[in-house]
Amino acid sequence: MRWLVRLLGVVVLLLLAWRVAAVGLAEGYPASFWISQTLNGLVLGGVYALIALGYTLVYGILLMINFAHGDVMMIGGFTGFFALQLWIGVGWLDGSALWVVLALVLTVVAGMLGSVLAGITLERVAYRPLRGAPRLVPLISAIGASLFLQYSVLLIFGVTPRAYTRPALIEGGFRAGDVFVPYTGIIIFIVSLVLMLALYLIVQRSKLGRAMRAVAEDKSTAALMGINVDQVIVFTFILGSALAGAGGVLLGFHNTVVKFNSGFIPGLKAFTAAVLGGIGNIPGAMVGALLLGLIEALGPSALGIPTEYKDIIAFSVLVLILIFRPSGLLGEVLSEKKA
Amino acid sequence: MRQKWQIVGLFLLLAGCAAPAPAPQTAAEVAPAAEEAAPAAEEATSAQVVIAPGQTIRIGGSFALTGPIPDPGKDIRQAAEIAVDELNAAGGIDGFLFELVAEDGACSGDQGTVVGNKFAADSTIVAVSGGTCSGETFGLKPILQRARIPFVSPSATNPDVVDAECDVCNRVALSDALQGQVDADFVFNQLGLRKVAAMHDNSDYGKGLAEIFQNAMVALGGEVTAFEGVQVGDTDFRAALAKIGAGQPELIFFGGYSTEAALIAQQMKETAGLENAKFMSDDGAYTQQYLQAAGAAAEGTYMSFVAGDAQAEKLTTFTEAYVAKFGMEPSQLGPFHGQSYDSIQLIADAIRRVAQTDDSGNLVIDREALIAAVRSTAGLAGITGTLTCDELGECGAGGVQIFTVENGEFKQVAGFGM
Repeated sequence: MRWLVRLLGVVVLLLLAWRVAAVGLAEGYPASFWISQTLNGLVLGGVYALIALGYTLVYGILLMINFAHGDVMMIGGFTGFFALQLWIGVGWLDGSALWVVLALVLTVVAGMLGSVLAGITLERVAYRPLRGAPRLVPLISAIGASLFLQYSVLLIFGVTPRAYTRPALIEGGFRAGDVFVPYTGIIIFIVSLVLMLALYLIVQRSKLGRAMRAVAEDKSTAALMGINVDQVIVFTFILGSALAGAGGVLLGFHNTVVKFNSGFIPGLKAFTAAVLGGIGNIPGAMVGALLLGLIEALGPSALGIPTEYKDIIAFSVLVLILIFRPSGLLGEVLSEKKA
Repeated sequence: MRQKWQIVGLFLLLAGCAAPAPAPQTAAEVAPAAEEAAPAAEEATSAQVVIAPGQTIRIGGSFALTGPIPDPGKDIRQAAEIAVDELNAAGGIDGFLFELVAEDGACSGDQGTVVGNKFAADSTIVAVSGGTCSGETFGLKPILQRARIPFVSPSATNPDVVDAECDVCNRVALSDALQGQVDADFVFNQLGLRKVAAMHDNSDYGKGLAEIFQNAMVALGGEVTAFEGVQVGDTDFRAALAKIGAGQPELIFFGGYSTEAALIAQQMKETAGLENAKFMSDDGAYTQQYLQAAGAAAEGTYMSFVAGDAQAEKLTTFTEAYVAKFGMEPSQLGPFHGQSYDSIQLIADAIRRVAQTDDSGNLVIDREALIAAVRSTAGLAGITGTLTCDELGECGAGGVQIFTVENGEFKQVAGFGM
C-alpha cells in the first residue's frame, strides 16, 4: 500500500509540474512579474512566520493549539494603532526622521506589550485552570477565547476598520526596473528576520530557553529538576505573543487596516504554516511560513487559476503535507511527543 | 484503513488538478439566482395584521450594521428612524404609531436569511425596509415572498433584487444595470480609456456590477485585460494586482465595498505597471470611510453613485432632524440616507391606503392588499425625487452621478439620467 501512495504522490507532482510548465508557456509573464510575486510572498511569509512561531512555541510546551493566537495578534495591531494616534497627536510624526523612527519603534513595542498582556491573561484565565484536563478541553477554551477577544474588540472599538497612517518616511517604495518594492515590505522582512534570530538565540542560548526545552521534553521531570514550570509556560506565552504583536503592527503598516476580525485569517494561515514546517519546531515554523507565503503569491499565477483561489492552494498544500509527511517538513523537534 | 483514505484524498486532488482553469474572460454568467426553498420556520402569518389600540405598526428593518460597510448601514438605519419619528410626530395612522424593528443583516446572504426568518416568524411585522446589500437582500427575498411581507430596499442595486416573479420585492435604489453601463460609458467616452481591468469582491453586488461593467466595456469596443475576484475582508491584494499589472490596463474598475476599495487604491500605487493606472469604484465604496482609509491614494480616483433626484427643501428638513437627533451630518457615514427615508415613507404611504379600523377600534392591514398597494405607489414625493413603482418594483428616481476625489473630497464630474 505504501508504494501506491508514493507513486500517486509522484504523479501529483508531475501533473503539477506539467500544469506549471503549460501555463508558463501560455501566459508568458515577464521575469519582473515573477520577481514581484516572489517578493510579495516573502513579505507575506515574514508576517506568517511571526505568528506561526507563537503557535509552535505553545504547542511545543503544552501540546495545545492556541487558536486565540491570531486574535492576540489583532490586539497588538489595535494597541499599535492607538499608540500611533498618540504619537501623531504629540506631533512626533511631523518631526525629524529620528523622531519618526523612534515613534515607529515605539509603536511596534506598544503592539508587542498589548499582545503580551492579552497572551498572559489568556494563559492565566483560559488555559492554566485546564492544564490537567483532557486535550480537547483547552482547545475548546482557546476557540472561546478567540471569539471573546474578537467580539470584545467589536463591542469596544466598533465595527469600522481603523486605518493606520503611514509616516511619509515609509510611504511608497523604490523601483528597480519593472519591480516595485514597498518600504513597508522591506521593513517587515528585516524585522521578522531579526526577531526570529532573537527568538532562536533566546531558546537555544539562554537559561530560560534551556528551561523551555526541558519543559517541552517532559513537564514533570523538569519540575523535579527544580524548574518552575508555570513560570516557563508564562514566559513562552510572552515570547509568542510579543512576536505576534510585532506582526500585528507590521501588518497594520503594510495593509493600513486593522479591525476586530483581522487576526482570524492570518491566524489560520500561520497555523497552517506551523503544521507545514512541523508544529513544535521553531525553524520549521519559519520555513513553513515563508513557503506558504511564496505558494500563496506564486501559486495562482503559476497554475493559471484566479487569485481568489489562493487559499485553496494554501490549504491543498496542507492536505498534501498531512498525507505524505504528517509530522511536517522538518518534523516535530521541540517535543518528541505526538499528538 | 488510513492508507485507503490517503488514496481517496489523492484521487480527489488529481481530479482537481486535471480540471481546466476557467478562462479569465468568461462572459457574465447569470447573476446569483435567489436561493429557493431555504426551509424557513413555518411562518404563522395570517392574511391580515390586526393591531389593537395602544399597539404599534411594526416595520422591520434589515440594516448592514456589521460586515464590510457598517457606516453606511448605520446611516441607513438612522435615516429610517428619522422617517419613523416624523410619521409619529404627524400622528401616525389614526392614532396608531409606527415602530422600527431594526435587525443586523450584516451585508451577507446568510445573515439576510436569519433576519428574514425572524421577520417571517413575527406575525406583527407589516413590511420591511432593507436589506442594505444585494447579497443580504437575496437572503431575505424568498422568505419574505413566502411570508407575504412586502419589502422596499433603499440600497440593494443588483439587477436581480427585483424580478417579475417576486411581487413583494421593491427598491428605491437604482439598478446596477444602469450604473455599470454608465460607468463603462464614462470610462470609454469621457476618460477615453480603452484598456481596463475589472475586479470584484465575490459578493452578489460587487461581482454582478463588475460583470455588467465588463460586458458594457466590451460592447463599446474596449478591451478588458483581466477579471479578477478577491474576497470581502481581504487586506492584501498585491498578488491579484501584480497579475492585473502584467496586462498594463489604464484603469481598474472595482465592484465592491469601501474597505477593500480603499486598500486596492493604495496597493495599486505599490504595484509595477499600475502606478499610473486610474481607479474607479461604485456606490458601495462612495463613503467618507473610503476617503479616510485610502488617504492620499484616493486622489484622482473615481466613484459612481446611484443618486436620487434630490429635493432640496425636503432634504434640508431631513438633515436638520438628523443632525438634531444624532449630532452628525448624514453624509458623514454613507450616501443612502435619502433612499432609506423614502423607503419608510413609501411603506407608510401604502399602509395608509389599505389600513382600516374595525368595530372594536383595531387597525386592520390586509397583507395582499398591502403588497399591491406598495407596488401601485405613484407620484409619491420623496427626498430622492418623485417615486413611482413600475411592474417590477423599481420605485427609484434619479440617475447615476460620477465623482472624483480632489483634496480629500468628492467632487462631481458627471451625471447621467438625472
